[in-house]
Amino acid sequence: MDYVLIGEILAGLMFFGVIGMLMLGFPVAFSLAGTSLIFGAIGYYFEVFDFSNLASLAGRYIGFMTNEVLVAVPLFVFMGVMLERSKIAEQLLLTMSKLFGNIRGGLGISVILVGALLAASTGVVGATVVTMGLISLPAMMRAGYDPKLASGVICASGTLGQIIPPSTVLIFMADMLAGINSQVQMAKGNFAPDPVSVGDLFAGAFIPGLMLVLLYLAWMIFKAITDPKSCPATPFSDEEKKGIVKEVMTAMVPPLLLIVAVLGSILLGIATPTEAASVGAVGATVLAALRWRLSFTVLREAAVSTATITSMIFIILFGASVFSIVFRQMGGDNLVHEFLSGLPGGAIGAMIVVMIIMFILGFILDTFEIIFIVIPITAPVLLMLGLDPIWLGVMVGVNLQTSFLTPPFGFSLFYLRSVAPNSISTGMIYKGVIPFVCLQVLAIAILFVFPELVTWLPKFLY
Amino acid sequence: MLTILASIMRLINAINKAVGKTFAWLSLAVVLVCFAVVVERYLFSTTRLWMQDLYVWLNGMMFTAVAGFALFREDHVRVDIFYRPASPTKKAIADLVGVCIFLFPFMFSIYYIGLPYVQRSWRLMENSANVGGMPGLYILKTFILVFVALVALQGLAMAIRSILVLAKRDDLVPQDFRYPTAAQATGKE
Repeated sequence: MDYVLIGEILAGLMFFGVIGMLMLGFPVAFSLAGTSLIFGAIGYYFEVFDFSNLASLAGRYIGFMTNEVLVAVPLFVFMGVMLERSKIAEQLLLTMSKLFGNIRGGLGISVILVGALLAASTGVVGATVVTMGLISLPAMMRAGYDPKLASGVICASGTLGQIIPPSTVLIFMADMLAGINSQVQMAKGNFAPDPVSVGDLFAGAFIPGLMLVLLYLAWMIFKAITDPKSCPATPFSDEEKKGIVKEVMTAMVPPLLLIVAVLGSILLGIATPTEAASVGAVGATVLAALRWRLSFTVLREAAVSTATITSMIFIILFGASVFSIVFRQMGGDNLVHEFLSGLPGGAIGAMIVVMIIMFILGFILDTFEIIFIVIPITAPVLLMLGLDPIWLGVMVGVNLQTSFLTPPFGFSLFYLRSVAPNSISTGMIYKGVIPFVCLQVLAIAILFVFPELVTWLPKFLY
Repeated sequence: MLTILASIMRLINAINKAVGKTFAWLSLAVVLVCFAVVVERYLFSTTRLWMQDLYVWLNGMMFTAVAGFALFREDHVRVDIFYRPASPTKKAIADLVGVCIFLFPFMFSIYYIGLPYVQRSWRLMENSANVGGMPGLYILKTFILVFVALVALQGLAMAIRSILVLAKRDDLVPQDFRYPTAAQATGKE
């Protein structure tokens, strides 16, 4: 039989085999690599795979270990964990809730704003949803909010960190797309392509992120006007009124300034993301110290969380590398290329199919696994078909974010379920997020029709 | 026999806890060194090239050395649709199978590829490729093998835990390494 055909069949089977094997529940990083090795062994038997190809793994791993761009990941994680462990994040949320709480829908608005600002910290959906679920959900219930609206707004805001800079997801995406794009441009005969940087992707995601926040806010305000009972105001007590100015100045302004300074310096090109991230991490630590919250325990917890979260993400990258090598060697690249370029509708048709596949994968896999598997095998074809790398990266981000929000499998919903009281049924959570899923779909449609919303700012800034 | 296995498991846990907690501090070091580079560059307009290598390398050392500890702490994500609600017995089976067919072959492959790679680096006493960069790239490269050793050991500890659970000797598994009970696993539900 034809070796090319056998290889491609095996590569195709491997893609589904990996997903099937992951269901076993063993840690993803190792399942990915292990399953790929098993398929590699089958390929070896059919003489379509040679294990000597794996030798390049060592060089790749050292590449990740000496990658300057990716160091931004532990730095941003440190900043986020520090803000969380020192309770600065919590304080910010509480103050904002007080500030906006005396208007209808105000608690919801503060959840959206804090979600947008803080979610950035880890890029792991769970943390934000759990924090806000623990703090804001009880507050909203006390204020008499409709549980559906309350849970919807928390789940949705918790996913904003996937897309709003400085999302760690975007850092990895930029690093991968940069390499792929330069190869594709070379193949096209463009020997001096514009490099894709993390700053580009942050800038590209900025307007879409802002747009999502505005859409969420608009929905909240719409509910407050048309359905006042769903999100009543909690009037200030006199005591609170007196303290509020001071509280805003101490609890709200400093962390906001820090976040704005970090983001601003990246977007304006003053500092690289890695440099800005280190300033953010030190800044968060200083803020904690100024509030006498920086104990040895907090520092140690921040260090341990940062190290283990970073390790978890990078080791998935290690595992996914085995997958890409085996997949490519067996001719999977060709298979994907033939499949995607044979679709009707050209680049847009291929893009839609990849987006749908990622959306479905989002039900079972977390962001990092999905982008580490899917981007290396599909992005070369999509970019070859002429799509803009920054637009592609941002679209993938918004798409996955939507996937994490969609019932019945969205991750965000599970995280909220795990901290929500029993009085809130799972059905209520599902119903509550549906309007937000619709807003997401609307946002994706807008970005499809007006890609300039993504591509304009990076061009303008750099 | 099971008690011997249990003591091996406890020893491995202790090693990874110690290594993990120590190397986790490198995250703070990454922050501080990188910040120092930023301060030097923007305030004093100077830079030391080796420091630019240093914080990047520290990150590489950190995430490889902590990987075994992260596995101990259950920080490596699982696809838990079926795993989370499963009984400890089923979890034990899943982990045992996973360690044997995924983790060990993966670690063996990296060891097989990595050993000559690292040996070569030691023979050349390789330094940073950047001019004026850090010496001792071979030490960083060695962390690929450190990663393999620590994760393989933790995999062995997981396998032992599975065996103990399947042999109904859960009592030999220390509290911080046990499978969460059904109530803990599903939160408040």
